[in-house]
Amino acid sequence: MSDMPITLEAWLTQNAPRVLSYPVATLLVGVGLWLVLPRGRRGGRAVGAVLLLVGLGMLAARLPMLGDWKYETVLWLLGGITVVSGIGTISMRSPVYCALWFALALLGTGALFMFVGAQFLGIATVVVYAGAIVVTFLFVLMLAQPEGQDFYDRLSWEPLLSALTGAVMILLLSLALESSLGGTAAAELAAKSPTPQALEKGILAPQHVASIGGVLFSKYLIAVQVAGVLLLVALVGASAIVVYQRNPAAGSADAGQGGRS
Amino acid sequence: MNEVALLRSLLAIGAILFATGVIGLLTRRNLIVMFLSAELSLQGIAVSLVAWSRYHNNFGGQMLVIFIIAVAACEAAIALALFVKLFHDRGTLDVVAWQTLREENLPPHIDIEVPEPEAREEKWPELTPAGREPAPNLQQQRHRARV
Repeated sequence: MSDMPITLEAWLTQNAPRVLSYPVATLLVGVGLWLVLPRGRRGGRAVGAVLLLVGLGMLAARLPMLGDWKYETVLWLLGGITVVSGIGTISMRSPVYCALWFALALLGTGALFMFVGAQFLGIATVVVYAGAIVVTFLFVLMLAQPEGQDFYDRLSWEPLLSALTGAVMILLLSLALESSLGGTAAAELAAKSPTPQALEKGILAPQHVASIGGVLFSKYLIAVQVAGVLLLVALVGASAIVVYQRNPAAGSADAGQGGRS
Repeated sequence: MNEVALLRSLLAIGAILFATGVIGLLTRRNLIVMFLSAELSLQGIAVSLVAWSRYHNNFGGQMLVIFIIAVAACEAAIALALFVKLFHDRGTLDVVAWQTLREENLPPHIDIEVPEPEAREEKWPELTPAGREPAPNLQQQRHRARV
């Protein structure tokens, strides 16, 4: 029986009392997201933030313990910072604040990478994303919208429906996690999970960057070459997009579309 | 450390980040904020991949995240070049300005009520006047004006 993949429906009928808090949490997250998104009118954001925190806390309460309170504290601190700044990214009115919250979310994910032993990726995320991409975004924002927010930053497309959609997506993913990684499945997976000694020889090896480089330039060598070509093409393409000027004599066919003002 | 619990916690964080990014991409109207939301979804995927990499004791997930970072850098370069071009065309970052790109024969979107700008409470500190008021330096003012 345990080898048979069970459907979500069958699993739900068996475990309905244990997962009763999920729909409540989904509703709280959905309404909270609706309240913190820009809706064209003021008020309700503090209530929405409280609802969101309660809902996410209910979801987090379903997760199992790591077994060591020090790891537990660090993981929840980092995860909380990441999720809260992710929500801040989509709910702030001023795009500059959005970019800054996004930078904080990137720092959070970088720290999470370091927490699970992917130091190189943590540094790469902070340097490439927070250091280069977000800064370029801020440059464009300063160029295009130096006065801060505009009226369209205080409006959204269907905030209630999209917030509920997102909450239902979170619900389904949490239920999938609960059904595939929780309960009896957790014991089976724990038997297959790597031991600390195996991790010490594998991804947690002391020479982390050396082992990453070894894998990257042997098994993934062609992919590295393709990524290099992709970066070159993107560089040329970005320059071409900005530099290219529409010829006014040849562009008379486009005049009807009201292109360039 | 309980590896299964770690995997499940990280997958939950990744799922929430991904859903947040999707909501932002669907709802926001500023081009740059939409793009930031898409990048947020990518971060959610990256967290999940690194969690699986840890569980399987295998570098494959981390390699994929390296390529995600490379592709995101390309994407950001192209998108920002496009945003600069589009902004020169229409003078706004609102997606509604490009609504003619969608299907034909659809009614145009017109904002029924435009929200009022939020009144900013700018309270500057006031210093008590002290000493005598200096005479205006006309030469310096003219020089500044020319610069």
